[in-house]
Amino acid sequence: MSLRELAVWSQEPKSDEAQLAAEDYIKMGVIKAQKGDIPEPYVMETDKTILVIGGGIAGMTAALQSAQSGYQVVLVEKEDRLGGFVNKLYKKVPAAAGEYKKPLIVDTDIDKTIKEVEGNPNIKVFKSAKVEKTEGQPGQFDVTIASNGNSEVVKIGSIILAAGWRPYDANKLEHLGYGKSKDVVTNIEFEDLARNGIIKRPSDGKDATRVAFIQCAGQRDPNHLSYCSAMCCTTSLKQAQYVRQNPDATAMILYKDIRTPGNLEYYYKAAQNDPGVMLTKGDVTAVTQSGNGSLFVEMENSLLGEKVKVEADLVVLATGVVPATVDDPILNLKYRQGPGLPDLELFDGFADSNFICFQYETRRTGVYAAGCIRQPMSMSDAQEDATGAALKAIQAAEHVAKGVAVHPRAWDVTWPDPFMQRCTSCKRCTEECPFGAIDEDEKGTPFYKPGRCRRCATCMGACPERIVSFKDYHVDMIGSMMKNVSVPDDEDKPRIIVLACENDAYPAIDTAALKHAKIDPAVRIIQLRCLGSTNLVWIADAFSRGIDGMLLLGCKFGENYQCHFAKGSELADYRLGKVQETLDRLQLEAERVGLIQVAIDEYNNIPAIIQKFVERVKEIGPNPFKGF
Amino acid sequence: MSEQSNKQPNRILVIGGGFSGLTTAVDAAETGAEVIVIEKNPYLGGRVAQLNKYFPKLCPPICGLELNFKRLKNSPLISVYTMAEVENVSGGPGDYTVAVKLAPRFVNDNCVACNACSEACPAERPNEYNLGMDTTKAAYLPFNQAFPQKYVIDSAHCKADCGKACQNACKYEAIDLNMKQESVTFKVSSIVVATGWNPYDAKKIDTLSYGSVKNVITNMMMERLASPSGPTGGKIVRPSDGKPVENIVFVQCAGSRDENHLPFCSYICCLASLKQTTYIREQNPESKAHIFYIDIRTPGRYEKFYWKVKDDPNVSFTKGKVAKIVQAEGSDDVIVEAEDMQTGKKVKVRADMVVLATGMQPAGAAQKINGVNYTEEGFALSNQGVIAAGCGRNPMDVARSGQDATSAVLKAIKTGLGR
Amino acid sequence: MEQIIKPDLNFVNDIIASGGESLKKCYQCSTCTVVCNVTPDEKPFPRKEMLYAQWGMKDKLIGNPDVWLCHQCSDCTAYCPRGAKPGEVLGAIRKMTISEYSPTPFAKMAGDPKYLLVLFAIPVLLFLSYIVPKGYLDFSQIPRGEDGGIVYAKFMPVFPQIDVTFGLAALFALACFVVGIKKYWSAMSAQLDGSGAGAQLKGNLIGSVTATIIEILTHKRFQKCNVTKDRSTAHLLVFYAFAGLAITTTWAIIYLYGNEFLGITAFSLFHFGESPYPLYDPMKILGNASALTLLIGITLVTLNRMKNAEKAGKGSYYDWLFISVIFVIVATGILSEVLRLADIAVLAYPVYFIHLVFIFFLFAYAPFSKMAHMVYRAAAMVFARHSDREV
Ligand SMILES: Cc1cc2nc3c(=O)[nH]c(=O)nc-3n(C[C@H](O)[C@H](O)[C@H](O)COP(=O)(O)OP(=O)(O)OC[C@H]3O[C@@H](n4cnc5c(N)ncnc54)[C@H](O)[C@@H]3O)c2cc1C
Ligand code: SF4
Ligand code: SF4
Ligand code: SF4
Ligand code: SF4
Repeated sequence: MSLRELAVWSQEPKSDEAQLAAEDYIKMGVIKAQKGDIPEPYVMETDKTILVIGGGIAGMTAALQSAQSGYQVVLVEKEDRLGGFVNKLYKKVPAAAGEYKKPLIVDTDIDKTIKEVEGNPNIKVFKSAKVEKTEGQPGQFDVTIASNGNSEVVKIGSIILAAGWRPYDANKLEHLGYGKSKDVVTNIEFEDLARNGIIKRPSDGKDATRVAFIQCAGQRDPNHLSYCSAMCCTTSLKQAQYVRQNPDATAMILYKDIRTPGNLEYYYKAAQNDPGVMLTKGDVTAVTQSGNGSLFVEMENSLLGEKVKVEADLVVLATGVVPATVDDPILNLKYRQGPGLPDLELFDGFADSNFICFQYETRRTGVYAAGCIRQPMSMSDAQEDATGAALKAIQAAEHVAKGVAVHPRAWDVTWPDPFMQRCTSCKRCTEECPFGAIDEDEKGTPFYKPGRCRRCATCMGACPERIVSFKDYHVDMIGSMMKNVSVPDDEDKPRIIVLACENDAYPAIDTAALKHAKIDPAVRIIQLRCLGSTNLVWIADAFSRGIDGMLLLGCKFGENYQCHFAKGSELADYRLGKVQETLDRLQLEAERVGLIQVAIDEYNNIPAIIQKFVERVKEIGPNPFKGF
Repeated sequence: MSEQSNKQPNRILVIGGGFSGLTTAVDAAETGAEVIVIEKNPYLGGRVAQLNKYFPKLCPPICGLELNFKRLKNSPLISVYTMAEVENVSGGPGDYTVAVKLAPRFVNDNCVACNACSEACPAERPNEYNLGMDTTKAAYLPFNQAFPQKYVIDSAHCKADCGKACQNACKYEAIDLNMKQESVTFKVSSIVVATGWNPYDAKKIDTLSYGSVKNVITNMMMERLASPSGPTGGKIVRPSDGKPVENIVFVQCAGSRDENHLPFCSYICCLASLKQTTYIREQNPESKAHIFYIDIRTPGRYEKFYWKVKDDPNVSFTKGKVAKIVQAEGSDDVIVEAEDMQTGKKVKVRADMVVLATGMQPAGAAQKINGVNYTEEGFALSNQGVIAAGCGRNPMDVARSGQDATSAVLKAIKTGLGR
Repeated sequence: MEQIIKPDLNFVNDIIASGGESLKKCYQCSTCTVVCNVTPDEKPFPRKEMLYAQWGMKDKLIGNPDVWLCHQCSDCTAYCPRGAKPGEVLGAIRKMTISEYSPTPFAKMAGDPKYLLVLFAIPVLLFLSYIVPKGYLDFSQIPRGEDGGIVYAKFMPVFPQIDVTFGLAALFALACFVVGIKKYWSAMSAQLDGSGAGAQLKGNLIGSVTATIIEILTHKRFQKCNVTKDRSTAHLLVFYAFAGLAITTTWAIIYLYGNEFLGITAFSLFHFGESPYPLYDPMKILGNASALTLLIGITLVTLNRMKNAEKAGKGSYYDWLFISVIFVIVATGILSEVLRLADIAVLAYPVYFIHLVFIFFLFAYAPFSKMAHMVYRAAAMVFARHSDREV
């Protein structure tokens, strides 16, 4: 408890109220200390082997990076050869830190990487293989790998999901001529056509001297893919160089916006500076036959004219990336909560993080995604991404082995310890745990997997029997703190408890106090690990003690939630929906309890938010239980 | 790290305590490495500490910073040096010697951030945190949630005759005006360069009239104007007369993608302008925003954020770069000129205020660290033991900075393992 | 009207070869169009020309008055973020326009250093053919004037050698111009509505011509340039010097033929003596003043170009050839007069010879050289006005 903020800066100096607040906060501090125990980590037998799913450039990089750091790696690849999509590429964009110099296309050298992976003694490669199921928890995953008709169970510490992507189904792009003319190909198919140097058109084998690239073929289109594939502009600029291996050929790139962000702009600049590379902005509406064996690409709003047709021998559709997770959960987790990573809808199927600041955080502990399965990205970005994912996987394996939590409470050595004798198998905890840490055994009794747990204490809040506790945080601790808050007898002086999330709401209050903003003396503020840990019993207890109102301050929920534990604040709200019953029993007004979403930067509003709530409670009048 | 690699502790020095540097530090420490953070400013967080919201979620940057600060405080493996600068790096992978200069803060750990010194201080200084749009006392806290939560005394702006007003006002003996600059050296196994970026100097773009036409501001100034901790407490008003802004123009690629200025694309400024339209639209439902661009760059899933803004009928877009900005005659309004390429007409748009979407210039352009390699533009280059991460290496958003930093950690740790 | 785009790689390569090597760097931002003070607000240049050029859309460029409305101020080039140098690219396109519409093979040769010697060989041989048979290679054989001084007319008689040669050259040039401009005009009309069928011109021709003349005389448009501000003064000097020299020549012809041959003595009222006229003769004064102006003007042009090279581009062979020719003409013109007066025969005759060769070069090749820009630009300006293009 920070006395300075809560009782000094935010109260009228030297007032009785400040004095009383200080006494209350000191009391609560003492209770908190008394009721807490020295934590002991949950140590279990673990394995630190890292499973990498997917043997493309991201997967191979993750495997190599982990292996080179001294970890055992199991690499599972669906195909009979490592390398993934890079195998299909003719050349790649060279690496450069600034200006690009010729040549603008270089060999992928994928064979070298494959050899390195296959030759690394720390890496065990399964080819033509799939993950059949994943059981257990970080440090103790049992992963069944099926390959060539055999199944094998391997012990795994943590998992990197790098199963990559597939191109968007071009058959859905009939308006762009795909399937109707052999001379309309995807950018992936074009890699193959380029392999033989001079590009011939598939229909009649004639030299294709006029090649049109249609950007955003499906991407950025509400009827197809709502996102941008981030790398197809660069890819087409690269493929234009393939076309220009024939000095008489022209490559025409038709774009909505050229997207070569960051230092890729240098590539754009170098690649366009070629007599035969032509670009223009426009909306491609159709690809039609010209009548003389070639094709017309029809455009509107183009810079070349309102409505134009560009004549071409070959049309390349710059199709986009679809993450493998759209088709298949891949991990096949045997979790009660389902086989894949959640949040699929929000992310268009990508195994992405909702956190801007914590890109590797999925809602399945010990599972990290990398490469195009996470976001559309280029080869070199995928390599960086995979290196980061490898670090995260190593971290997770090490933390679980020591019994320490991972993100966001990566220092926490406590863990939820349910007193199972009193469990009624109501399954509230299994349902509410945002991280799927609680499975059920055959009899339907919850079964905690501490390795998967993030220590949010949602289960503690969910449990109506109040049996889930942490050594330093439990229902009784917070309950007792509340019970010991002074309740003024004076009818005009209500007492209100504010439960504030320690991650966002509380720091906002802290900042308000730092700015010496005055906070209504009626309130006593208690920090919670997450609003998700709010147990309804506290409300009943507090009201029966004569507390006049209770305000919960937590993070924003909804699609763009900000809760570090994904759903805590939202779950508290859901539970409050059920508090009516309790209040009715006590014959109290529902308005005495409220939940308000605040962000950490709302410190200027916080005093007013609290004030308003206090007014609301004052209007309702004092708690009839006061003085009992 | 695993058993076989646990022989000697991995020591990593992180230069720069911005988002990339912080992520590097916590990720490395949480993997068992010892970390030393060297930050030039008196606070951590770097540029994101100046941002109001993050695209596309429109969430406050301080939320993620706060969590990282908490991890940092909880980790005994991290030591932080603010107001510190690296003077020289020598040695090689696994064994570097880094000389660091520590500027005096004049405030020690006793500081409880009670503000007494600031109240007593008679001197003012321009507030660079708010990009010079207001001032602070010479004894100041860089910003409300600054970490470390300690005041600083800017001796360059002290009044010689104040009679140590701040020192006398402090009840905690936290002020020591005799502090001297110190030099320290560190022995480390690897170095992560996360020195980030500086806003490109808009004055250099003469066609855009920053500094000569009133009410032409930069996107970083806009972040501060919209921020609750900014000079106006979050009200977006124009600088010349405090008029609430109803009509605003954003000028994309202000200096970026331009050989005469920054030849690269700054990655974030399209998204930043889209984000900033939401600031103004939220404050004033009648307001109108207009974006002039060459290409709108919202790669990946950011596309949906673009759509969201585009769906707002009060936000319009024109393909065509602004290359002329003048003051409207007899008024503080601003007139921008561009070609609307879709219609092939030169257009002039009058606005209350114009925001230049200026880019991110790598820190290495202004200041190079001895012993670190750079490109011509000042981007830091990596080698086996010196690893560059974040915007100091390549322009990128916060998400990618974090990712880049995490990846740098593994490379740094591997160097320490001697592999 | 739907238009079919067929990019022409050869045309792109031609532009590159003609001095537009940076054109492919353009990424269509339109900075150039906005910083250009000369361009109209509707369908401004040079951004759209850059795009057409990148795609090799020859018709759109060669039949386009806009490329001539550009005065190559180079404001665009200085501010282009990609270093695409639109000013130079348009310059290259102008050169290609000239050669496109000129009916003879000289057009190609004028822009290509390979043919420089051939082009010079023609006047050199021509003039040598007059003097060699007379043994004038030995200067002492050249007759002197009555007062014993050097008289160039005795070395190379005005009639028929000089006047017939230059008369024919001028006729040839004129014919080429007429054919070229006719073709250009119809190409511009064809492009006007994009149909290629030719369009109705709305404006009034007389008015357009007058306005254009005033515009040329005042250089108003040129003065809007920014980066290369000083250029308009230099150009104005060169322009008026040429005008002065043209008047001098006409005067001389009228005087010569009117007075000496036809005996219309009225013409001699303004004259004091016979050729070589004394220095105080008004015609002589005008001629010398013009020559001096030209010298100053062309020197300024050269200095400006060197000063602005970094921002505005170095300029092409085509430009520099033109500048050099003028320079040599003025220099040799002044020198031959000085040498004549100083009576240094060994130098005077060769210098005068060179002077004649260069003048021939300037006149005969005018429709193919940079000189043609005067005529094409004027035509484009008239057309632009005549077709209601806001200029
Ligand atoms: C207007 C604007 C809005 C933006 N909005 C967003 C947004 O909404 N979302 C988003 O994702 N991104 C946004 N960005 C981008 C974001 O700011 C960067 O991605 C981020 O700051 C990168 O963090 P960094 O740590 O790499 O660099 P920085 O934040 O620059 O941190 C570098 C740190 O290193 C320190 N340092 C520098 N040199 C030295 C030295 N020699 N010695 C010691 N220390 C040193 C600096 O003081 C600083 O603290 C925005 C950018 C702009 C311009
Ligand atoms: S990278 Fe380019 S082609 Fe690909 S989706 Fe994005 S804008 Fe379209
Ligand atoms: S609800 Fe939170 S604390 Fe409980 S098991 Fe799940 S992750 Fe752990
Ligand atoms: S992000 Fe947008 S505004 Fe910024 S440099 Fe790139 S294209 Fe220009
Ligand atoms: S020539 Fe230069 S300034 Fe003009 S549109 Fe192209 S890139 Fe922009």
